[in-house]
Amino acid sequence: MSIPLIILIVLALILVLMYNSLIAKKNQVENIFASVDTVLKKRYDLIPNLVASVSKYMEHEKSLLEEVTKLRAEATKPDISDAHKIALDAKISSALGSIMVAVENYPELKANENVMHLQHTLHEIEEQISAVRRAYNQSVTDYNNAIEMVPTSFMASLMNYRRKQVFEIVENERKNVDVKELFS
Amino acid sequence: MKSVSELTDFYYKNLFPTLEKLESDRKSLRHKIISIAIICTVVFAAVAYKLGNFYEFILFAYIAFGAIIYKFLVHDYTHEFKMGVIKPLVHAIDSSLLYSSATHISEYLFEHSKLFDTPDRMSGNDYVKGQIDGINIQFSDIHAQKKNQNSKGKDSWSTIFQGLFIVADFNKHFMGETVILPDTAQSTFGDIIGHWLQSNNASRDELVKMDDPEFEKEFVVYSTNQIEARYILSHSLMKKLLAFKHKSKHSVYISFIGTHIYMAVSYDKDLFEPAIFHSLLDYKVAMEYIKTLHLAIGVVEELKLNQKLWSKR
Repeated sequence: MSIPLIILIVLALILVLMYNSLIAKKNQVENIFASVDTVLKKRYDLIPNLVASVSKYMEHEKSLLEEVTKLRAEATKPDISDAHKIALDAKISSALGSIMVAVENYPELKANENVMHLQHTLHEIEEQISAVRRAYNQSVTDYNNAIEMVPTSFMASLMNYRRKQVFEIVENERKNVDVKELFS
Repeated sequence: MKSVSELTDFYYKNLFPTLEKLESDRKSLRHKIISIAIICTVVFAAVAYKLGNFYEFILFAYIAFGAIIYKFLVHDYTHEFKMGVIKPLVHAIDSSLLYSSATHISEYLFEHSKLFDTPDRMSGNDYVKGQIDGINIQFSDIHAQKKNQNSKGKDSWSTIFQGLFIVADFNKHFMGETVILPDTAQSTFGDIIGHWLQSNNASRDELVKMDDPEFEKEFVVYSTNQIEARYILSHSLMKKLLAFKHKSKHSVYISFIGTHIYMAVSYDKDLFEPAIFHSLLDYKVAMEYIKTLHLAIGVVEELKLNQKLWSKR
């Protein structure tokens, strides 16, 4: 076999391997995003139930409850983009967090079995969301690394692959607790 | 649960009469062992000198005979030590725990943990079982070995694992299998090659890259499910496992399978055995018994296994 032919075969092999690894990374991201969708949907399903059980008591937080309901309606719309879904999830997380904090102000609610159950279920789902979010971020990081690093970056630009967005931590979670505000 | 310093107090105060008695036993035992060793050596040397041949055979007989005699001599003392010191120590930590000096964690659980290869021979002792804060826990000393055959067809035994093996209920519900091993590849070969080797480990499941750099440096995680591995290994649990590793000062292997967490701490020696050539009142000797027991039983508290999530209530 002539040397040029060998070089050609090796080159083709490298190209195939690069192509396949990129496809695998893209599919991994999509695969995990499907799981993200599932757990997010689980949380959306809880929202009407939660709003119904607390709205009787929570007179002052009406706007908060309305906002959550609105966000939920928007998030459950078919065919919204992944990036939009991620942004909505962040908003819902922070709104639900505020509701849970507000519940603390109502002793009747804290003692309510239904609310307690909802609270625990939400907590469990938050854990699942956190896990799936971290898995998604890792797969996106792997994917982004592959499309930006040499030599796969050349292949990726030929295949027209773009960077994907990771889930960001909700702004509230990152902020330090302001103790003064808590007691005022 | 009692702290290490409280247990140290217990060891030196409540166990002092027992320790004093054991200490005199130990001294006479040591005396006996040394004199018998000298007599044996002289006898075997004389036999060897007289025969003028078969040196290999005599040396082998000498070692075998010595080992048997030693085991026989130490047996009663060991038993007394375990019943008089280790058992009360276990009960001082939690009186509901059961202690058995001769049995060990079942081979089934050891294999089920998927942490190590299937052993051909397993031994162990100092089995403790019970409930801490409603969480089932059991642990024991384990020595698992594998049989190797060299090219001449001779058998030899190599150690797969020796140390403390702990099994406890886990507080989250999961379906897959997640295994955490000490990160040897990445620390020996560096990040890139080490990582490549890890991701191509055919005997393990998918590699899971964790988002805690410190944890990732110490451990490597394999799992059947990327998402579930992260559900189990929350940020706080990773921190706690790291703290456990640093506290134990030994290699730690962890797996999550079925409803259990399995932990193996590699000490490379038989634990909870009485000191013969050191005093039992020696602080270092005492601390080793206390710290090891505290580490094992403290797992429930350390990892907050008693804080159950809704799905497991």
